[in-house]
Amino acid sequence: MHEIRIAEDLAAIVLETAFREGLSEVTSVNVSFGQLVQIVPDIFKFAFGEAVRGTIAANAAVAIEILPVKLKCSDCGSESELAGNLFACQKCSSTDLEILQGREVFIKTIEGE
Amino acid sequence: MEIKIMKNILDRNQNRANEVRSLMTEKNVTMVNIISSPGAGKTTLLERTLEELGDRFRIGVIEGDITTDRDAQRLKRFDIPIVMINTEGGCHLDSHSISKVLDLFELDNLDFLFVENVGNLICPSQFDLGETFKLAVVSTTEGDDKPAKYPMLFREAKAVLLNKIDLMPYTNFNIENFRSDLGKINAGVPLFETSFTRGDGLKDWFGWISRQVSGSL
Repeated sequence: MHEIRIAEDLAAIVLETAFREGLSEVTSVNVSFGQLVQIVPDIFKFAFGEAVRGTIAANAAVAIEILPVKLKCSDCGSESELAGNLFACQKCSSTDLEILQGREVFIKTIEGE
Repeated sequence: MEIKIMKNILDRNQNRANEVRSLMTEKNVTMVNIISSPGAGKTTLLERTLEELGDRFRIGVIEGDITTDRDAQRLKRFDIPIVMINTEGGCHLDSHSISKVLDLFELDNLDFLFVENVGNLICPSQFDLGETFKLAVVSTTEGDDKPAKYPMLFREAKAVLLNKIDLMPYTNFNIENFRSDLGKINAGVPLFETSFTRGDGLKDWFGWISRQVSGSL
């Protein structure tokens, strides 16, 4: 249920931005979550709806993009996408890896008028 | 119109966590964020650790609890600073709740600050508290699939305790599957196979955690 807290923090950012930009209504909110964050989109949308109830973002559509886990090998430098939960380089099998993508909790844009 | 924001939604939590981490480094305190399901043995781990190491190290505890003070009560018999944070239903601690109670500790006089997070494998893994490292505790009665199901925690944990190994004969827990899944997610992570009631594996745990004291890192 970390969706609730993330939705609340997102609502604060969306509303703050909307007021600063002088929007009277927020129509859409576009976010990205890394696969490792294990967000359940329906729960997140519900939680966000609750967080913005009665505000200018109450009817905003939430678009969620889930980002796959990308790894970079610290030994051979090759990049690969996580497959089958195996955190090892697909080229040289090294387990010394950097997680390039997959942990994001990110707001990209909002739209409104 | 479209407005670009392009930022981490959890910025506020992350910024505060960074402040907490700097403070811990400055004060030479090793802060351990203990994460497990409810009932895996977090509080018992603290009891055993305080019994064994309470004389050797200066230890403080933050108890995260959803609604009761039962865990904190269990640790009262130890003469150490304990602060309880009630999350009022919240499924995880965050860096702000930690930061607010740090004033209650004399950080100059601490070696370790153990933080018992709320029992949950997903949510606490997503909120940096500013800890020195995360510790994952899991028990055989939960099943051997926990690393595969909750990769973020097991990937980020600096060590893993597999507790209740004395109960393994009464469960369908397959330790080879567990070790293999954990090895895929976090190769080489120290794994302590323990029974906090029977005492298995505790000697290795005490040795390892003793070496995590700041300055010996």
